[in-house]
Amino acid sequence: MKRSAAFVVILVLSVSAFIAGPALADEGQQTTPLEGFIAFTPYPTQEIATGETVTFNLVLRTGASPQVVKLNLNNLPDGWAATFKGGGHIIESAYVEPENDTKIDLKVDPPADVAPGTYDFTVMAHGETDSTTIPIELIVKDKLPPSLKLDADLPVLKGAPDTTFRYNTTLKNEGDEDLVVNLVADAPAGTQVAFKSGGQDVTSLPVAANESKKISVEMTPYTDLQAGDYQINVLAQGGDVEADTTLTAEVAGQSQISVAGPDGRLSEQAYVGKTNPVAIVIQNTGTAPAHNIQLTASPPAGWKVDFEPKQIPELAAGKQMEVTANVHPADQAIAGDYVVTVKAQADEAAQKSTEFRITVLTSTMWGIVGVGLIAVAVVVVGLAVARFGRR
Amino acid sequence: MLSQLSSRTHVVREGSPWTGVWAVVGKEMADLLTSTRMLILELLILLTAFGTVYAAAQNLRDQTGEARFLFLKLFTTGQDPVPAFVSFLGFLVPLLAIALAFDSINGEFSQRTMSRVLAQPIYRDALLLGKFLAGLFTLALVLTTIWLLIMGLGILSLGVPPTGEEVARGLLFLLLTLCYGGVWLALAMVFSILFRQPATAALASIAVWLFFMVFWGITAQLLAQSLWPAQPSVPATILVQANREMVLNRLSPNTLYGEAMLALLNPSVRSLGLVLPMQLQGAVLGAPLPLSQSVLLIWPHLTGLIAAIILLFAVGYILFQRQEVRA
Repeated sequence: MKRSAAFVVILVLSVSAFIAGPALADEGQQTTPLEGFIAFTPYPTQEIATGETVTFNLVLRTGASPQVVKLNLNNLPDGWAATFKGGGHIIESAYVEPENDTKIDLKVDPPADVAPGTYDFTVMAHGETDSTTIPIELIVKDKLPPSLKLDADLPVLKGAPDTTFRYNTTLKNEGDEDLVVNLVADAPAGTQVAFKSGGQDVTSLPVAANESKKISVEMTPYTDLQAGDYQINVLAQGGDVEADTTLTAEVAGQSQISVAGPDGRLSEQAYVGKTNPVAIVIQNTGTAPAHNIQLTASPPAGWKVDFEPKQIPELAAGKQMEVTANVHPADQAIAGDYVVTVKAQADEAAQKSTEFRITVLTSTMWGIVGVGLIAVAVVVVGLAVARFGRR
Repeated sequence: MLSQLSSRTHVVREGSPWTGVWAVVGKEMADLLTSTRMLILELLILLTAFGTVYAAAQNLRDQTGEARFLFLKLFTTGQDPVPAFVSFLGFLVPLLAIALAFDSINGEFSQRTMSRVLAQPIYRDALLLGKFLAGLFTLALVLTTIWLLIMGLGILSLGVPPTGEEVARGLLFLLLTLCYGGVWLALAMVFSILFRQPATAALASIAVWLFFMVFWGITAQLLAQSLWPAQPSVPATILVQANREMVLNRLSPNTLYGEAMLALLNPSVRSLGLVLPMQLQGAVLGAPLPLSQSVLLIWPHLTGLIAAIILLFAVGYILFQRQEVRA
């Protein structure tokens, strides 16, 4: 308790030297009310930028006797406006009662063209018995012009044609004014750019003065991008200022091959005992040329499948090539459907395999032989009719 | 063609063997279609058709959405205790064919009408061919009627129309059944030429039918086992024995009909012989065969049956030509 009493003394000393006497008199019997009254503000020195207003909180405290305290200002620079406010009204005096502090706001409004510097003025509080003053120091500084800064941590990213490029950028408001910043991106055709802040899609966001925000810029390609460099111009606009940065997406080409029949057909016919040419289309659906495509097949046992050509040295992106597969079904193959898997393997792409359904057809030769046999039988009957015919 | 051939090779012959064939066919068919035994047999087959198809349709009704070849399944689906229609056909058709022909020639003799018929300007060729064709046409008439009946019942009970392939397969099945019946018709006719008593001819025909139906399978197995003994340690000999047994089995028209019917009515049947596991590697099981391939599969069976008809007819023809017809 002693300590807190001492603290009160120090506080009172520092805030209002004029009332040190009555405060010291209270030492040792803290329950004894003040004599007269005190007035102070917790933060007597404040700094503002040009064009800003400032509010000081004043506290009035009285000892044993309630009283009316009149307030006015001394040495207020010319052109400055200042008002006391209490309970939402503009006031000039306040009624202070014991054990209940009265709080008053002093609103100071320097003119717009105020010069930077330090301004002093004093708040005078006149009680019924005595009066007190609160010296106030206001430092007016030149306001920083609003400015924005947009920086990317890694402005150049590399990826595959279907990658979502994700750039981490920092948007900094370097001015002294809060801004609402709009984000605009100029992205290459076929891509979509989204801005994310805190996991949410944003297109505009408030950035307080001297605050910086992490913004993630995501570029998602709608379709696979061709190999090359893509530039994304990101523009951040807030008020009259803007900042921009250029992000680069380096798309590395990737080859992707597909195997199918002409028109995408995956069923073919093959005669037993014959070599049947089957057209196969190898297509590079990727964005980079595929090299050295090897064609292999895994047919059922006893089958022979040769490719012509066996190897494609190079297949440009988006191009296709027709290859002939010579399918020779096993001699024992029975009529009906068999599955033959055709695989294509390029140097730089994953192996692609496609199942072809080969319908094995048997030769019609034996059918013709059967018809021949029947014809022979008919001829024999005819001969018999000619030989034995009688009445 | 026949007349051309005859005029070239045999100068003795006068007139065409075709003269009067259609007259004989007409009269004979009229006789056959009004006879009591035909009525009994037709009723029997009709009853079978109704019963089996009704049972099959009950069974198939739930599958109309997913199953393919529903109409073919009408023929092959049985529902306990009613067997499938085709298993009835296997013995009803021979019975019908034998009933149509067992007294075709010797009946004329026993009624003493042969010389009267031949006194008309009709060759013996024409008489025999006409009688055979009349039998075949009657058979075709009965079978077609039943076929249409089953298809109609199918549309009524399943509520979906048959597809083109189903109709094509069904018609081929009809043709096959006709050929199968034709073999028994020709056989019964040969016996009716050979034996003077109709009863003997009928018994002989039925004996042959029973032999093929019951005993030929056993005989083929025994023959194959004794002629080509299989050594359990040598797979090749087992294969040879199985193959030979199959060949022997196929000498029976019943086997030919059964196998061909299976391939026609069940499109997923890809082979009628022995299939080695090696041949099935990579095969898509259950995939239906195109119709042309199914036809190729059963072509030997069909030609075999047709050849048997022609052969039996030729035998009957020669026997009949050499016979004394004056009573």
